[in-house]
Amino acid sequence: MEASTRSEDRVARAREALEEVLGPERVLADPLALALYARDASMVEGGCALVALPSSVDEVVACVRVAAEHGLPIVPRGSGTGLAGGATPIGEALVVVTTKMDRILEIRPEDRLAWVEPGVRNLDLANALAPYGFTYAPDPSSQQTCSIGGNVSTNAGGPHCLAYGVTSNHVLAVDLVLPDGTLERLGSEAPEAAGYDLRGAVVGSEGTLGVVVAACVRLTPLPPALRTMLFDFETVEDCAATVSAIIASGVVPAAVEMMDRGIVVAAERFAHAGYPTDAAAILIVEVDGTQGAVEAQSRAVLEAARANRCRSVRVAADETERALIWKGRKSAFGAVAQIAPHYHLHDCVVPRTKLAPVLTGIYAIAERYGLVITNVFHAGDGNLHPLLSFDRRVPGTLERVLRASEEIVRLCVEAGGALSGEHGIGLEKREFMPLVFTAEDLTAQACVRAAFDPEGRMNPHKVLPAGARCGDFAMAFGQDAAEAAARLPEGAWI
Amino acid sequence: MDLIHPHSVPDVVETLREASARRRRLLVAGGRAHIDKGNPCEVDAELWTTMLDELVAYEPAEMVAVVGAGMRVGDLARALGEHGQEWPVDAPPQATVGGVIAAGASSPRRLSVGAVRDTVLEVELVTGDGRLVRSGARTVKNVTGYDVHKLVVGSLGTLGVIVRVALKVRPLPALRRTVRAPGGPEAARGALQAVPLPAGVLALPDEVEIRLEGWPEQVQEQTEAALAALPGAEVEDEVPFPSRAPWLERPVVVEAAVPPSRLPGLLAGAGGSWGALVGVGIAWIGLDAPDGALRELRERAAALGGIAPVVRGPGGLGEAAPPALAVHRRLKAAFDPAGILAPGRFWGGL
Repeated sequence: MEASTRSEDRVARAREALEEVLGPERVLADPLALALYARDASMVEGGCALVALPSSVDEVVACVRVAAEHGLPIVPRGSGTGLAGGATPIGEALVVVTTKMDRILEIRPEDRLAWVEPGVRNLDLANALAPYGFTYAPDPSSQQTCSIGGNVSTNAGGPHCLAYGVTSNHVLAVDLVLPDGTLERLGSEAPEAAGYDLRGAVVGSEGTLGVVVAACVRLTPLPPALRTMLFDFETVEDCAATVSAIIASGVVPAAVEMMDRGIVVAAERFAHAGYPTDAAAILIVEVDGTQGAVEAQSRAVLEAARANRCRSVRVAADETERALIWKGRKSAFGAVAQIAPHYHLHDCVVPRTKLAPVLTGIYAIAERYGLVITNVFHAGDGNLHPLLSFDRRVPGTLERVLRASEEIVRLCVEAGGALSGEHGIGLEKREFMPLVFTAEDLTAQACVRAAFDPEGRMNPHKVLPAGARCGDFAMAFGQDAAEAAARLPEGAWI
Repeated sequence: MDLIHPHSVPDVVETLREASARRRRLLVAGGRAHIDKGNPCEVDAELWTTMLDELVAYEPAEMVAVVGAGMRVGDLARALGEHGQEWPVDAPPQATVGGVIAAGASSPRRLSVGAVRDTVLEVELVTGDGRLVRSGARTVKNVTGYDVHKLVVGSLGTLGVIVRVALKVRPLPALRRTVRAPGGPEAARGALQAVPLPAGVLALPDEVEIRLEGWPEQVQEQTEAALAALPGAEVEDEVPFPSRAPWLERPVVVEAAVPPSRLPGLLAGAGGSWGALVGVGIAWIGLDAPDGALRELRERAAALGGIAPVVRGPGGLGEAAPPALAVHRRLKAAFDPAGILAPGRFWGGL
């Protein structure tokens, strides 16, 4: 009783201090707001004490200082599209939402860079760069909604990362507010910088090292030409084999996306992209570069597809048709709402030569648990996105989903894969970390975290499994492992 | 000075445990191609990685190669070349894979192939106190935990001994062509605008070299654009890039990095032995001695938002302080608690 009063006081005092800086309208504490910010796009439901919506670097610094002073953990949040629970707050957290910091600060084509605030949306940035003949290459499927700050946190990917690389390859520098409230610029506008690559550590750290308040991103020249092709196959195996054959032929397409029948049917109903709904699987391949490069790559891709018994080929005749082909792909996750009200999306990576056997294994797991499974994924990278559709209101369903999910993860790891290709570990996968890392590996990772955040204030309970700690520092991520576990909501399969 | 030449990863683990226990300071060396980079430091022994040179796993259809860090770049190029692939770092053949990564050296084709860091998918590292730590994964895409392997790139052997790495490799271009024309940085900037997606554009004091790589029809298309932009240009296929490196004729070589548009400001007054990667912001500058000219160059680089470490000969890294020094110190303390790995060699006296 006494303890809870103390903590209510603490939150009340923090709220007062925040309201002084941000004004009452940008500090949220009403039950509805707290419920809204208690989760991201993952299946996990958390809880928080306060939500702050700063609009400047100084205000973020103030938020971080107030949280430190009153002992509240900080959970940075962008657009909340994360699928692993990285932005799901746990316990008495202050959620720092960066969506109001949404200005593109400068575009410098001659330096091939742009400075943006964290709340800038991915697609808005790409559109702003196009008139200069450049783009921002990482293009997550949620790009209309997701923010650059969130992309940095999760080292986001997207279909075009096959040729262009993930977010980490496109972030030159970040301005980071450290957990003690100091502001540092990590990385440089120049191609190399003094010191360890702390920027490299921050990208993909899921908001656990500080709050990113600005990012300097690399501009990628828009290719002079591109071609989008759609292939369809009678078997999933032929489709997967085509992916390996393309890569083996010496072509690295801009994107290679695979969709199986279940998702093709759902996406077609939604997007009317003209997908062949009777195919076992379709493959979207985009090649780009100079006109000559496009011709040469197209030939090799066609040859690889034909050698693997592709049934038909459709080449986008113009930009409208290309957009339509991509619309089907990028809206696939929305389209699955037709199958069932809830879905659980995976993000494992396997060596691309293992795609066919792993897919076969995934179908078998789904069948065993009586679940509907569809697959739409970045085949060129070996980045699988098995999607389990279900109705969590039906008793026992969620448990079956979680058990099937764990088997899928184990299958991918056994094939030599990684736990996440682009969504991150967050809350959902942290207890799987020992499947791919030794205790010593995890200790080293804990030390990286502790170097930035010795007191464990930033987004606690994320990424590392309970108990992983850096021996050299007086810090424990399971500081209160038991307490944290008790607070974890039901349905979190951690 | 003592020499330690481990045969295996467990050897390295044992060596470092013992060295930490006895406070024996070590300098990690591979092929010595990048050994000059770093501030002067005193050590008791050198640890050579060159016997850790096995090709651990290589599946061409994955475009991933797993190799011992002591493998020579030339040997790796041969192994990959047999399958029509390359690790695009363009380091000297005697350099080791681990050395290139520890030095974070830039390729002349960085405009198209990116930085070394972007090719390093997984690193196995033996920390200063002899713990074997793996970070990353053998897949091209991965967000699984903290990227210790990113911190290791360019760390000059001060966080641990890189013993094994997984590299992202790429198809060898079908055709490689160099277009050379009289000119300088201004002409090079024009060429970068005029030629679609070149592999590299190098400005020399009196010349421009444009590297074109890819499918034959692509290279032909690019060549036409280059010839239209650069009157009097000459074309040569399958020659090394760059075709000459005047900076290497001087005893001190700086690898400066500034935002790309500021290269002219850096190069004004940099003498006559340099080459600069237009659109990238890297410049190699040859000097006669680590004297006033180096100091001035560093001041200019700093004023332009960049750095100017020496990569060959004496002169060290310079005075530039790393950001978030407290974070740097905690990292160093965690990975090398006894401080035995080349103390003082790194930026900020680490």
